[in-house]
Amino acid sequence: MEETIASGHVGLTPTRHGARTGRRTTLLRQGIGTWLFLLPALIFFVGYQVYPIFRVLWISFTDYQFLSDQPAHWVWFKNYADALSDPLMWASLWRAAEFTIMFLPGTIILPLMLALLVDRVTQPRLATLYRVVLLIPAVIPSTLVFVLWKWMYNVQTGPINHFLIDTLGLFTLRNAPEWLGGTPLTLPSIAVMEWWWGLGYHTIFFLAGLAAIPKDLPEAARIDGANEWQVFWHITRPRLAPIMMILVVLRFGSAMAVIDEYLIFGGFNRASPTYTWTMFMYDEAFKTGLWRQGFAAAIGMIGAVAMMFVVVFLLRIFRPRD
Amino acid sequence: MATTLEAVRHRPDAPRPRPGWFRRNRSAVVRHGVINFFMLIIILPLAWVLILSVKSLPDAMRGNFWPKRFDFTHYGYIFQKINTLPINLFNSIYVTAGTVFLTAFCAVLAGYALVHLKPRGGPFIIAMLLVSLYFPVRVVSLISVYEIQNSLGLINSTSGLILPYVTLNLAISVLIMRSMFQLVPHELFEAAKIDGAGPWRSLWIIGVPMVRNGLVVIFIVNFVTAWGEFLLCTTLTNDQDARTMPVVLAGAQGGLGQWSWPNVAAVYVIVVTPGILAFTFAQKLFFKGLTEGVVKG
Repeated sequence: MEETIASGHVGLTPTRHGARTGRRTTLLRQGIGTWLFLLPALIFFVGYQVYPIFRVLWISFTDYQFLSDQPAHWVWFKNYADALSDPLMWASLWRAAEFTIMFLPGTIILPLMLALLVDRVTQPRLATLYRVVLLIPAVIPSTLVFVLWKWMYNVQTGPINHFLIDTLGLFTLRNAPEWLGGTPLTLPSIAVMEWWWGLGYHTIFFLAGLAAIPKDLPEAARIDGANEWQVFWHITRPRLAPIMMILVVLRFGSAMAVIDEYLIFGGFNRASPTYTWTMFMYDEAFKTGLWRQGFAAAIGMIGAVAMMFVVVFLLRIFRPRD
Repeated sequence: MATTLEAVRHRPDAPRPRPGWFRRNRSAVVRHGVINFFMLIIILPLAWVLILSVKSLPDAMRGNFWPKRFDFTHYGYIFQKINTLPINLFNSIYVTAGTVFLTAFCAVLAGYALVHLKPRGGPFIIAMLLVSLYFPVRVVSLISVYEIQNSLGLINSTSGLILPYVTLNLAISVLIMRSMFQLVPHELFEAAKIDGAGPWRSLWIIGVPMVRNGLVVIFIVNFVTAWGEFLLCTTLTNDQDARTMPVVLAGAQGGLGQWSWPNVAAVYVIVVTPGILAFTFAQKLFFKGLTEGVVKG
């Protein structure tokens, strides 16, 4: 393999010097060589991302059931009609939106504040130390973050309730808050966990953006008598806007499509606030009855399209205006 | 962790308290106070689980942060008594290593080709990769991924997990590599070509060393994702023997016996430490790569 590509490229040299013969074949071979470099990435990207999306789209128009031995039939929009007339579909979409509304402000504003503070730290060793500590949660793999917080939120043995009951005396063992497991507190508890997880990583993002602002700009504004708030609003904020946009859009996407946390904390109780459209899809596709994957695929598609509407809307609001 | 926090509090350069010191340094004091408060919030859960893993059993039930009696035997106990632990740990290492190397391999080749070989469909591929970042691919494609793995006979296979894992961060990895290769002057590859080096050779000898910082970012990002992946592992495997350690841990109910609190905490510490250690050693390169590849990209 190595030989052919190498010769393909060496073969380009005559065309450079003006020789016309064989130009087409060398171009073709050069093209094949290039695609050989792209091939590994494309196999994975097409095989496990592009094809599955279209396959799921196709399945969503059939009455495909994974465990059934009957062949699937094309049913047009029946699954979509069924899903859209199911109150659970709307409830589950709204639950995902609720979580996003709880989660998004804290995961943008807290890191922004922290970044503004850390950016002022001039002592180099201290600045590095802060950055290293900030990134520690970001290198803890997702499941381990969830497991850690599952233990911390534990009603009887968790340190959070221990602190509230034994240290502060705010609650007794009887009325101690149940943080997880489908109670109304579940979504806020997960949101706080996600803030903790993203705090450092997002702060580092904002710090990188702050580092790109020339230091003499705020200095000059301060000399001209601007207060700190004016400096932030008129100088820092507009220059952080692109980073903020990326974070808002990406985090909106991840918050609307959360599933791992709900699988670990919530379970398949249809009344639980954690039973969002992702859980509804998973439940129908892999847990319930004969695995009605046609119906589940329609649920997934509806959720994804609803999300994409908001993403496009967000990208439109945040688009750079000159 | 405790020592680093101490170092933060007693900053060597902090001015000595003098009359009126607080008023003059109020903003700096408040600033460091707030920063250290957040640092404490970040550290505290990890410190709690670390201490829990060396608490004696009665102390673990009591819930005080600092135990009356330490007990370091839990680490030995878990390896002797929890049969699947070594298998699960091996699965984690195996799947993660496979994922990280395959993704890095794909990303380096694709990033290099997209920038320096200028394929005709390049902009289209880049647009597709970007779109895939905004679409909830991981969740929506699950039904089809299950079908693919099933038809390949890879359900309940640990090795089979590597294939879908590679795609989890493939798009972002290729995009990072692309912006890294944009920093490498095209003339370098031209010169290598004139000297008779093929594209593979020049990529290996010139390209890879120059995108080293980006590679560190890709290694860490993919390590973190593969090491802690839950959704695919729990869907595509059934047996505890086939699963990775964090997924088993997520299903474990802390309580008594094998899975008593100090024991699960000890397992947790064993699983969480490699990532933090790797990051701490590589943090200089990681930050460089992050600013070069992610922020500019």
